[in-house]
Amino acid sequence: MSPTYDLKRALQSAARNDRPTVDPSDDLARAVTAARARTRRRFRAGLAGVASAAVLTVGAVAVLDRDPADPDGPGVSAPRSTPGVELVSEQFEAAPYTFDLTPTGWSVQAQNPYAVTIVPDDGSTSSNPDVFVGKLVIMFDTNRPAGRVLDHDGRRFWVSGDSGYTTLATRSRAGEPAGVVRIQYPDGAGWDEPSMVAFLASVHVGSGARHGHG
Amino acid sequence: MRDDEPSAEFVAFVHAHRTDLVRTATLLCAGDEAFAEDVVQNTLTRLYLSWARVRRADSPLAYARRSLTHAFVDETRRAHRRRETTVAEPTEALPTEPAAGATDADLRAVVLSALASLGPRQRAVVVLRHWHDLDVAETARILGCSPGTVKSQNARALAHLRDVLGSADHHLILEVT
Repeated sequence: MSPTYDLKRALQSAARNDRPTVDPSDDLARAVTAARARTRRRFRAGLAGVASAAVLTVGAVAVLDRDPADPDGPGVSAPRSTPGVELVSEQFEAAPYTFDLTPTGWSVQAQNPYAVTIVPDDGSTSSNPDVFVGKLVIMFDTNRPAGRVLDHDGRRFWVSGDSGYTTLATRSRAGEPAGVVRIQYPDGAGWDEPSMVAFLASVHVGSGARHGHG
Repeated sequence: MRDDEPSAEFVAFVHAHRTDLVRTATLLCAGDEAFAEDVVQNTLTRLYLSWARVRRADSPLAYARRSLTHAFVDETRRAHRRRETTVAEPTEALPTEPAAGATDADLRAVVLSALASLGPRQRAVVVLRHWHDLDVAETARILGCSPGTVKSQNARALAHLRDVLGSADHHLILEVT
């Protein structure tokens, strides 16, 4: 018996061949749902792009037409382009975490002392809460935050990203369990950095929170 | 081409190859059936979303296996993997005494436990090299690393498997190929 055959036989046994045939219609339904969600995202992104272009055009015209004596001057910031996900000032709880802002069109799928998982309502993500593809995950740990630094409302945030996901981190507030709160979100799902910073800044860490390891 | 043609092709592909993908995912996920099923579901969704590329591939199954490996590697980088903790020493799951007439179920449990004690990328190297019989260059291409890295990962993985499995009843012969 050759050595390669031995390992292959072991892997063959471990992979099991006695599996029932699965009806492909569930896979097709999931795939079609994801395709539709992608189409909607692209459509929304297109609308946001058109809206941004319109805002920039109107803004440019307004600046060019501005009376030089206008006291507001050119220092007034232009409205930011509309993000795909809207945050509303509405508190919700995913114990032991509380949020001052609520993303419309997204809902809490799972929560525990270590993390909260939030998913889009369009059904484009896995129903398994341990699968994070396409989802928003809020985590709490003691790992040192790293990445690009930015400040918001007197707090420091760190931005990093890879493989199509962006992670924002900030330290918990004074009086809360000490640690680092992180949000990981998928790029291209309608979230943008300013809205995500605002969302992360709205997280309150309750006393029941526990540090994840890793 | 009619609109429902890709869907019909997709269904035929899933019907023909889903079991193969699940078996591969089971090895990559070291026997975690739920994780394997999720990786397969995500892979199939990705394939559907880029069906034109799947259709153009020389071997759609090989393309799907590549996508599956990418989905697995991506998944291991995600949040839940980062906060996961190890709950047991891998060798604790191995039998302490040789069992006369050990069955395939025993072998399966021992091998999966040994695979679980490897890092995800090492596991992927073992699966691609020794389960799918891919050469070093193709394995390196799929994993996005150099052939030298594949060779060293493979050598380390086999050495580790040899250590772990050597204490079990199943004396597998593992050589660096």
